[in-house]
Amino acid sequence: MAAEALCDRAAGSPDPQVETIVDRAMDRKVFLKLTGLTTLALLTLRPGQVLAMGTAPPAVKKRRYGMAIDLKRCVACRACTMACKLENKTPPGMFYTRVDEEELGEYPNVRRRSIPTPCLHCENPPCVPACPIQATFKRENDGIVVVDYEKCKGLGACVTACPYGARALDLGDSYHEGKSEFNKIPSDEYGKKWVREDGQPPIGKVRKCTFCTHLQDGQGNYTDLPACARTCMGKAIHFGDLSDPASEVSQLLGQRPWVRLKEELGTRPSVYYLV
Amino acid sequence: MQLDRRQFLKLTGLAGAGLLGAGALTPAKARLGKGAGQGPFAEGAWLASCCNMCGGQTGIMCQVVDGRLVRIKPNVHNPNGFSNISEDFFANAATEGAVMCPKGNAGIMALYDPDRLKTPLRRTTPEKGIGVDPGWKAISWEEAYGEIVSRLKALRESGEAHKLLWFSEDHSFTHVQADFCKLYGTPNYNMHSNLCDVGRKASFKILMGDERPLIDAINARYMLIFGWNPLSATKWAHLPRIVTRGIEQGAKLVVVDPHLSYTASKAHEWIPIRPGTDGALALALAHVILRDGLYDTAFVNEWVTGFEPFKDYVKDKTPQWAGEITTVPAERIEKLAREFAGTKPALVDVWSGTHHSNGVYAGWAIGALAAITGNIEKPGTLVMPEAKGGKHIEVEADETAKNTLKQPRLDGGKDRWPYFHKSGVYTEIINRLGDGNTPYQPKMAMVVFQNLLMSVMGTKNVEKALKTLEFIVVVDTMMSETAEFADIVLPGTTYLERYDLNTHWVTWPVVGLRQPVVQPLFGQPAESEFVCELGRRMGLKEANGNDLFRLGRMSGQNIEDKSRWYEEWLSKELKEGEPKMTLEELKNLPGATWVSTKGTRYHKHLDVIPPEKMADSIVEGGLVFSKKKDGSKDKPLGMVRADGTAVRGFLTPSGKVELYAAKHEGKKNAEGEPLKLLPEYEPRQWQPSAEYPLYLINWKEASQTHSRTQNNAFLAELKVTDGLRINTKTAASLGIRSGDWIWVESPHGRIKMRAELTEGIHPEVVGTQHGWGHWAMGRTAKGRGAHTGFLAPTQADPISGQALNKEICVRLSKA
Repeated sequence: MAAEALCDRAAGSPDPQVETIVDRAMDRKVFLKLTGLTTLALLTLRPGQVLAMGTAPPAVKKRRYGMAIDLKRCVACRACTMACKLENKTPPGMFYTRVDEEELGEYPNVRRRSIPTPCLHCENPPCVPACPIQATFKRENDGIVVVDYEKCKGLGACVTACPYGARALDLGDSYHEGKSEFNKIPSDEYGKKWVREDGQPPIGKVRKCTFCTHLQDGQGNYTDLPACARTCMGKAIHFGDLSDPASEVSQLLGQRPWVRLKEELGTRPSVYYLV
Repeated sequence: MQLDRRQFLKLTGLAGAGLLGAGALTPAKARLGKGAGQGPFAEGAWLASCCNMCGGQTGIMCQVVDGRLVRIKPNVHNPNGFSNISEDFFANAATEGAVMCPKGNAGIMALYDPDRLKTPLRRTTPEKGIGVDPGWKAISWEEAYGEIVSRLKALRESGEAHKLLWFSEDHSFTHVQADFCKLYGTPNYNMHSNLCDVGRKASFKILMGDERPLIDAINARYMLIFGWNPLSATKWAHLPRIVTRGIEQGAKLVVVDPHLSYTASKAHEWIPIRPGTDGALALALAHVILRDGLYDTAFVNEWVTGFEPFKDYVKDKTPQWAGEITTVPAERIEKLAREFAGTKPALVDVWSGTHHSNGVYAGWAIGALAAITGNIEKPGTLVMPEAKGGKHIEVEADETAKNTLKQPRLDGGKDRWPYFHKSGVYTEIINRLGDGNTPYQPKMAMVVFQNLLMSVMGTKNVEKALKTLEFIVVVDTMMSETAEFADIVLPGTTYLERYDLNTHWVTWPVVGLRQPVVQPLFGQPAESEFVCELGRRMGLKEANGNDLFRLGRMSGQNIEDKSRWYEEWLSKELKEGEPKMTLEELKNLPGATWVSTKGTRYHKHLDVIPPEKMADSIVEGGLVFSKKKDGSKDKPLGMVRADGTAVRGFLTPSGKVELYAAKHEGKKNAEGEPLKLLPEYEPRQWQPSAEYPLYLINWKEASQTHSRTQNNAFLAELKVTDGLRINTKTAASLGIRSGDWIWVESPHGRIKMRAELTEGIHPEVVGTQHGWGHWAMGRTAKGRGAHTGFLAPTQADPISGQALNKEICVRLSKA
């Protein structure tokens, strides 16, 4: 399974600079058992640049969608994970957004921290150059990293290139056998109807969080929030245009302390964590 | 402002929660365009409804395309899922949006679960027992009805209608089931609540005459939560938001729990405690508050009765005393008491943490903290709900039914349980069936969406009890452990295929509609229609000769179509209830939800009794009662204040909040012991011993509901670990490593579980998420985790009949 491979890779990260809170707090295997996680976000904390705000006025139609996820509000319920499944009809074992969890400290001074992790839609996404056939790219108009299911051959180079475990290959597994009522419901990804049928995309393709691009109208405005933000029980997931200084996400990033995952890799994620 | 590592750790680390303070509010701005007139959301139809993946009844919107459910999303118009305080709903719902929990999102997998029951089944194996293959044979609905009705008729005709036991879910079509039982003639209608919160109900009923005060977390400045996990055991879908909003607005959250729940994890302080000792902690907190004069003199003087005897009782309940009982250090208790009493408004609450044999008194002691600090009925405290919705229209049984309704309930009812709740006492029913110590031997059970084998502790006792019944019918969407004891199993509908009216978890009048968003997948009747069909075939009538199950309640005409018949039933409940509208009108409201603009009211104990009511009342000893037709005293209306005004007060015998319950004088609990007059601490009955040294508890998490959602293919992926959580040091002392298979053993049995090591649990305690360990449910649920019911006796708290789900002691050994 791709997810397990990612997990092993994460555990054996060759980068000595990458120190994880998980590693320091407790035995990794214990943690994996406890939380049933498939992959871990390697939350590293390095001094970085303050988010540039208002330096260049955005073009009218040009956006940079992103998220500000309030970790103080996240209660690890995983409604986001479920809503995403319902919205995108992903197969068993595939989660466009997951909630990684850490236990910190020693009894009785202990707490759990949860980190919702969708695709971070990096400014400098390592997955994009990894693809030898240019089947994945960052959209010019809104910064969303997408996969072209028509082009993708499921080579998986992007899966291993992503440092966050945000991608997985659709191996064709289904929750139900055959043409069940559920299997007949198409996925609306990228504004098309993808019916789950053997040999048909997205089976055999690499899949990932799309920020629910299919909920955009013709002008790139969202008609409803991406599924994870829409359902979030703590209203922890704020979604919007990072290039608009007036947007809620930009405002929050201006007011609140934040971190990004694995800042040192230079990926410049568009998903920020308010702490 | 990006943080460096040190800053980050400081902010998020052990000591740092809440350092940002009130300056860190998230602006609640309108965000994105709502022009949903295009794209996938524009397809098909969106139908407003209410979820029922748990008992929360969250508002949902269901998108149906070509007759198929394709999406569920939150219904922003429905406060059932949003808030229990109206001002929060009115201020924030529109801008912030509603929410839906993971279970609600996974509802589609419940509907389209391939393991759903599709036809009625009849057992062919006469023998019953755990692991016995019933030898199911598919039968027609006609055959099923024929058999069930002939059994029901035989009982009723021989004057034994009371020998029918009925068990039902507590938030779904309960009125039609209760009415059936009444007209049929059985007093033994039971539902889920006594497994859930009747202990808490009793505690608060004693204290303040209200069964279910709700917290106003939005306005609180301090939240002291005992044994409750509202951020994860999310029955109210909105609680994660309102509790975190309270924190953002400056409240401090302190959670007392043996397990580091997600709520405890979000708290500024987690106070791990020995299970079943919460009452002792509460009394010690009261001790400090009273000793140091930190109580609310004005509130106590006017609105609290029994203050002096209570003060006298807690005189020696020192922090040192409680420290030894609870393991909470005395100095921490001192500090907690000062903080709690020194911050206003503060709320204190408890839910299922009191599922112990001393739970009702513990809950009362916890409630007493609210009383002495005056934290009742004010914004930011415990608030008595006015959650009115549809009205249950009374029916009167005919003479035949009245004869058997006079029979005692099998569980002994009010005569046995001083704070008996209408939901019955499942544990008592199971025990009496098992030991035969009953006034009569029940013969038949109708079990609707209840899985007694998994939900009532003492699994072997439940097995024994069910075997004594001649005929069992189980209605469920899926095969269950209990259904395997049935003679006939009927395929039920999911909440997406049926009607209900929902008013839950709000403090002001609201009604949300649940409606069929798709037709029942297998042509089965919704349960209301199933009950209706039974009633028709039985020919059951009201005392006045009305044919209840055929008569349209709105039109007054006989209606053959049972869906239409039930729609008129609901219309009548709405018309006579608070909304005063028809079902059709409710359907046409935004989100199919009626919301009173009256909103949450505080200080309801100060409501003046209207003069017209006073004119027709009896005033006796400072209390006001309504008058019966014959002029005698009827129900309490309120009390007369010192200034002579008659107000509602609290609906206790004194009209005040009671720290001393004179009403308990001369009364006994179900075990024959006198009821205590004060919220005294007594150790719970089952204490750890050298042989069984560890407390075993269980809890709920957001990913599952009780024992009924474990076959949901989406949800099963959320929590693949289902082992036993053990403190790392405890495990180390036993040589247990993470992932080891271990035996968890009590005098009642043993189960095999995987060890999950954690720092987040009291060293004397082990625990697990309740609901796993199915052996008869569908393919996803089967074979995962273990069921702790095998380790427990079948026992209730002797005051309220609350099932003791958490009073277990065990020992561990490597398997």
